[in-house]
Amino acid sequence: MSEGASGIKRRDFLKVVGVSSAGAGMVGCSTEKVEHLIPYVVPPEEITPGVATWYTTVCGECPAGCGMWVRTREGRVVKVEGNPRHPISSGALCSRGHSSLQGLYDPDRFAGPMVRDANGMRQISWEDAEQLLADRLGDGDYLFLTGSTGPTLGDLIDGFVSATGGTRVEYDALSEAPLREATRLAFGRNVVPSYDLEAARLIVSFGADFLTSWLSPVAHGRGLARMSSVDENGGEKGRLVLVGPRLSLTGQNADDWLPITPGSETLVALAMANVISGGGNDAGPYAEIVRAYSPQSVSQATGLSADQITELAERFAAAGPSLALGPGFSGQHRNATASNLAVLVLNFVAGNVGRTVSVNDPDLGSASAPYRDMETAIRIMAGGGAQAVLVHGCNPVYSLPAASGFAAAFEAMPFKVVFASSMNETAEMADLILPDRHFLESWGDSNPRPGLHALSQPAMQPVPNFDSKQTGDVLLSVATLMGSDLGAATFYDYLRTSWQRLLGGSGDFETAWRDALKNGVLETGVSSGGAASLRSPDAALVFDAPAFDGDGDFHLMVHPSARFGDGALNANRPWLLELPDPVSKITWHSWVEMNPHAAEGLGLRDGDMVTVASEHGSVEVPVWTYPGIREDVVALAMGGGHTGAGRFADGNGVNAMALLPAETEEPSGGLVNLATRVSITPTGERRPLATIAGATEQHERGITPAVALAELGHQEEGEAEGDVHGQLKELQGVGGFVPVATDGEPADFPLPGAEYGEYVDAHDGPRWGMAIDLDKCTGCSACVTACQSENNVPWVGENQMIMGREMHWMRIERYYETVHADEAGPVDIRFLPMLCQHCGNAPCEPVCPVYATYHSPEGLNVQVYNRCVGTRYCANNCPYKLRVFNWYSYTDQIPEPMNMQFNPDVTVRDEGVMEKCSFCIQRIRAVQNRTAVEGRGMSDGEVVPACQQSCPAEAIVFGDVRDENSRVAQIIQNERTYRVLDSTVNTQPAVSYLKKVTFHDVESGAH
Amino acid sequence: MAADLSRGALTHPDIQSLGDVNRDLLKPLGRPGLGWWMLFGLAAAGVGLFFTSWGYQIVKGIGVSGLNGPVGWGVYITSFVFWVGIAHSGTLISAILFLFRAPWRQSIYRMAEAMTVFAVMTAGLFPLIHVGRVWHAYWLIPYPNSRFLWPNFRSPLLWDVFAVTTYFTVSATFFYLGTIPDLAAARDRAVGLRKKFYKVISLGWRGTDREWHHFNKAYLFLAALAAPLVLSVHSVVSWDFAVTIVPGWHATIFAPYFVAGAIFSGCAMVITLAVPMRKAFGLEAYLTTKHFDALAKLCLLTSLIVLYAYMSEFFMAWYSGEPAERQAFWFRLFGHYWWASWTMLVCNAFVPIMLWFKRIRRSVPALFVISIFINIGMWFERYVIVVTSLSHEYEPFAWGVYRPSLTEMGILVGSFAWFGFWFLLFTRLIPPVAIAELKEVLITPMRGDRTAEAAAGEGGQA
Repeated sequence: MSEGASGIKRRDFLKVVGVSSAGAGMVGCSTEKVEHLIPYVVPPEEITPGVATWYTTVCGECPAGCGMWVRTREGRVVKVEGNPRHPISSGALCSRGHSSLQGLYDPDRFAGPMVRDANGMRQISWEDAEQLLADRLGDGDYLFLTGSTGPTLGDLIDGFVSATGGTRVEYDALSEAPLREATRLAFGRNVVPSYDLEAARLIVSFGADFLTSWLSPVAHGRGLARMSSVDENGGEKGRLVLVGPRLSLTGQNADDWLPITPGSETLVALAMANVISGGGNDAGPYAEIVRAYSPQSVSQATGLSADQITELAERFAAAGPSLALGPGFSGQHRNATASNLAVLVLNFVAGNVGRTVSVNDPDLGSASAPYRDMETAIRIMAGGGAQAVLVHGCNPVYSLPAASGFAAAFEAMPFKVVFASSMNETAEMADLILPDRHFLESWGDSNPRPGLHALSQPAMQPVPNFDSKQTGDVLLSVATLMGSDLGAATFYDYLRTSWQRLLGGSGDFETAWRDALKNGVLETGVSSGGAASLRSPDAALVFDAPAFDGDGDFHLMVHPSARFGDGALNANRPWLLELPDPVSKITWHSWVEMNPHAAEGLGLRDGDMVTVASEHGSVEVPVWTYPGIREDVVALAMGGGHTGAGRFADGNGVNAMALLPAETEEPSGGLVNLATRVSITPTGERRPLATIAGATEQHERGITPAVALAELGHQEEGEAEGDVHGQLKELQGVGGFVPVATDGEPADFPLPGAEYGEYVDAHDGPRWGMAIDLDKCTGCSACVTACQSENNVPWVGENQMIMGREMHWMRIERYYETVHADEAGPVDIRFLPMLCQHCGNAPCEPVCPVYATYHSPEGLNVQVYNRCVGTRYCANNCPYKLRVFNWYSYTDQIPEPMNMQFNPDVTVRDEGVMEKCSFCIQRIRAVQNRTAVEGRGMSDGEVVPACQQSCPAEAIVFGDVRDENSRVAQIIQNERTYRVLDSTVNTQPAVSYLKKVTFHDVESGAH
Repeated sequence: MAADLSRGALTHPDIQSLGDVNRDLLKPLGRPGLGWWMLFGLAAAGVGLFFTSWGYQIVKGIGVSGLNGPVGWGVYITSFVFWVGIAHSGTLISAILFLFRAPWRQSIYRMAEAMTVFAVMTAGLFPLIHVGRVWHAYWLIPYPNSRFLWPNFRSPLLWDVFAVTTYFTVSATFFYLGTIPDLAAARDRAVGLRKKFYKVISLGWRGTDREWHHFNKAYLFLAALAAPLVLSVHSVVSWDFAVTIVPGWHATIFAPYFVAGAIFSGCAMVITLAVPMRKAFGLEAYLTTKHFDALAKLCLLTSLIVLYAYMSEFFMAWYSGEPAERQAFWFRLFGHYWWASWTMLVCNAFVPIMLWFKRIRRSVPALFVISIFINIGMWFERYVIVVTSLSHEYEPFAWGVYRPSLTEMGILVGSFAWFGFWFLLFTRLIPPVAIAELKEVLITPMRGDRTAEAAAGEGGQA
């Protein structure tokens, strides 16, 4: 062996090899970083690869404070869900909550602290940044503008400003100040009332959009669904009446609509109180005021007849517990406090206070600060009364009306500090940016109502791409640098100290702390505030209809977006941008809502660009015609028109605040919102709307039939199903075909008559099915985002949406049945969550040439992505149009670190393949695997798909329809059950719908 | 056979001798002129556009088309059906009319057959262009593999694979077989490299009795084999639509309707191609107005069948009482794509009414214009069927419209260039009129007392 066949000596050979390897090694030393794969040497105790770890926390998206479960895999957050133990969310979550993941992994988050110098922003270290902040704050007075914070962080900020000589200004873009002030005036309690929707039998909403943005949308969604749906016996259905100029999503769920003149809610509420209190006699201290507003006297100003008001008032009084909900943010006009007060008086005279309205438990823990403080702050800034300004948790440059002068005053400040996790319009002007952690990476707590506390905990290590630090920690170390001690070294310690007080001396703190973290919620006793009684009215308050600026033809209603809320800090999220707006079904861009008649008068169609101009500013925006808005009103949603909020948010739509005056409502000090008239001028240009709505009516298809309440329980057996099927079978029989032997019960699988082919091997296992109760569905679209998050569904962008290439596996269809904006009457708008129907007789399956779609033995219609060639034949043949195609490799455009969000249990699809709802097959398999390991059978309700899991209205139930005792099997045994298009095309879907129940008569069957 | 073949034969009074036939019909195989080169250059550029567009689509993704949610099939499938349709008349004229002994086919069938082969070559590319992952398109072929994965034999797309490949194989074979005696004639005249080329592809044809005997038998058998394919291919293609549940597609009339439409469009395309060739190569003596008259009659007949099918579709939609079906057809006439539907109706049903007049049937320029209209109308017929039906299906909320993209337009235009590229090559390489068969039908005095076989064989002997 010492000498090779070619005569090379072993030694020489080794020398050559050695030198050349060294050479190769040298060459390899390029500037490129070498990535090392290092396995866990000592695996973290809590992480089992392939098994999810869950943490509880509190959703930080809005002040409602829903409890959250955070699903992590291998140390990364991949999904958030509602915490079932938390009384506010009860396991559900809204779209905005789901989208918080995209806030966490926002690619436009700050990489680290930055300071402004001559050349723009420059990265610095945290030490330098904190030192700089400490130095500058020592110079003199400063302002600390904060958005909504948890109680402990709020305490810390208060402590910080008092120790370091600053002033705190609380600012909430969606402030409920008029409601709070009205409650204080009415009952002497400075709280936002909480409402029990479920207990009411009749709800009158004076425009409050409580399903998407007002107070606590998830809790309200569940409350409304429970209130307004028929129970299993078809009885006890509560009614929702909307009084207001526009149908928001809440309005679309109403049974009756009284389209009143904008701003006249006060008059209607007082006139109703007048009727109920016998002309004002029973209105206590308000007797004098209520007496002045009889139905006859307000009829002219409200646009309703006296009879309509009287009738509504009588129903309101007779309904048992009823509930009137204040105008909300979109009705915040110049007399908004009076409006809210009128609604509270109405509730009081109807005896609802203490039953459905509680002024003992404020719904919001932190005081929503009025605009007046902000105005003062702007004055201070403009007048040079402060040396520095700190901003946390809000984006006033964007969310205040341009007329307020905030931006100019802020820009002129010598030292501006912004604590934010990602770029926004305010941060763009900052001199020092201190990247905050996302709430999923940080400690915190919430106190959404007295007696209810919850902890936020970091569910993962901070996203490694961003060098962030929790604001609480920054404040503590800056305070230390400035020589004050706030009592803790880190915010974690501060929080624990604060909770030590809360948990009290009783028992072991560590155990209680761990339990609070584990459960995600802590309920303590609450002292009753005693019965509320009306106090004497404030003489200064004016109850008349408010004034409007300008002389345009239309009142402008600026309302919180049903997707974003105010959109100040959460607009850079493709999931929300691409979520079809629950009302308009438009994605990405802004639109102005106009009544079709009004649009016709101006010669406008959907997609025509118009200039909306008020005395304060103007915007250019496309028209969307909507029968659910009065002819003299146009509406714009907040949340669009960002200029510095990141790559996804910027350039979409317009900022409606540009049209508003900067005016304070008296006496609450909130921002006046419904304040101006606008003119609409066509620009002559058009743009296609990025909408998913192909048609707004059912065109006699019977897609979402409804049944009148009076008809329930009277249907003869078999009458509900048309005879079409029988005739069809007869015809097939003549032609020699063997028809399917039965109409196909949902449990039938394989189908009778299908002895051949792929169905033959079906076993006796489960037959998965779903029931969706359309009487409960509110169209809030939380399921759509939940599904997108669970199933790695990509977003496609505005242009692709315009082309009609949405990728959502679910869509909420919306059909108008009865909508009249010119007279009071019933309103009937139907929602239908449409997803793959997993047909028992699926039209998509036989046409696929390569078996990329086939039927699983458990009755699922499954899609094999790897086998798909992309002929799109299946999508053509799907009558429900729920197969979506990857026209491009959409997932390739997803920037780092957003890909960290991908659910590792679900494949990421490449270009050229079809995809669709899988009934969350990964969850089915996970449960099957677990039960197999544990050696037991699956129990009903163990498999919960993402859509069901997230539904605030509890409209979706999934399970094994073959198991007679399963919930889904029992629910579909209902006279309201129908299956979409089944009688037309014999698809035998696994998804059963329960018809919506209406109070007014509907044509049964087809409609 | 002589008696049979001459029955109803069209006369060619301007042809003086059999030698003229060889001279006139082999002339196009000579040196091409500037006009041909310009056309060929144009076609080659179009082919470049075709493959550039396709390549762009493969690199970027099928998203560069204008297709979308409800409308998953568009210009590509429209063009597929259009080209398969064009491919029809070739085999009809050469095989079915051969079996029916319609002698007017002799002058025209070579062109028609060439058109068929090239049209199938074009059509066959469209399913590949259309799919999302063309690199996996071979999965539609049933080939044995270690995973025991087979295609789905219930899917009409799979039937398409078989129908189109079979049709291509048979029509190409039939076409080639028919050219052999003429290729031999060309060989006998050619020199140099061309001679070598023709020598190889004429398979050593000598025109002996024995060869003629076998040739005629083979030709007859292949004609018999090809004849049912004329009906089957387009029936299968129509089933792509008819077996689905899409309103506007799901109709039992589709197979005959599509076959008639295919013959209609194919005959129109033959006219479109024959008119310029006749002019360019001076074939007036061979392609007489009587030939065009016969083609025009075929167009008229199939136009009436197509019109009947349209009316029947609309009637059945109304008669069914099914809202989805009714509205689909209402949408077709008065919806977003009304212009396409009316183009289709005008071109396919109204313009051909002129063919009732003999004067128009015998006017070559008029026929040329009408044939262009029919080509356009038949493309739009498929566009209307494919696109309007998909855009208004059962679920109103999911309705949507589709606009073809530039890439799709590039590929559509390129496909005509690709077809033209091959057809231009054909005009220069293969006698465009069947020499041997034409001689068979020339009037007897010119042939003297020789048998048909001998006369035809002269091509080989000259």
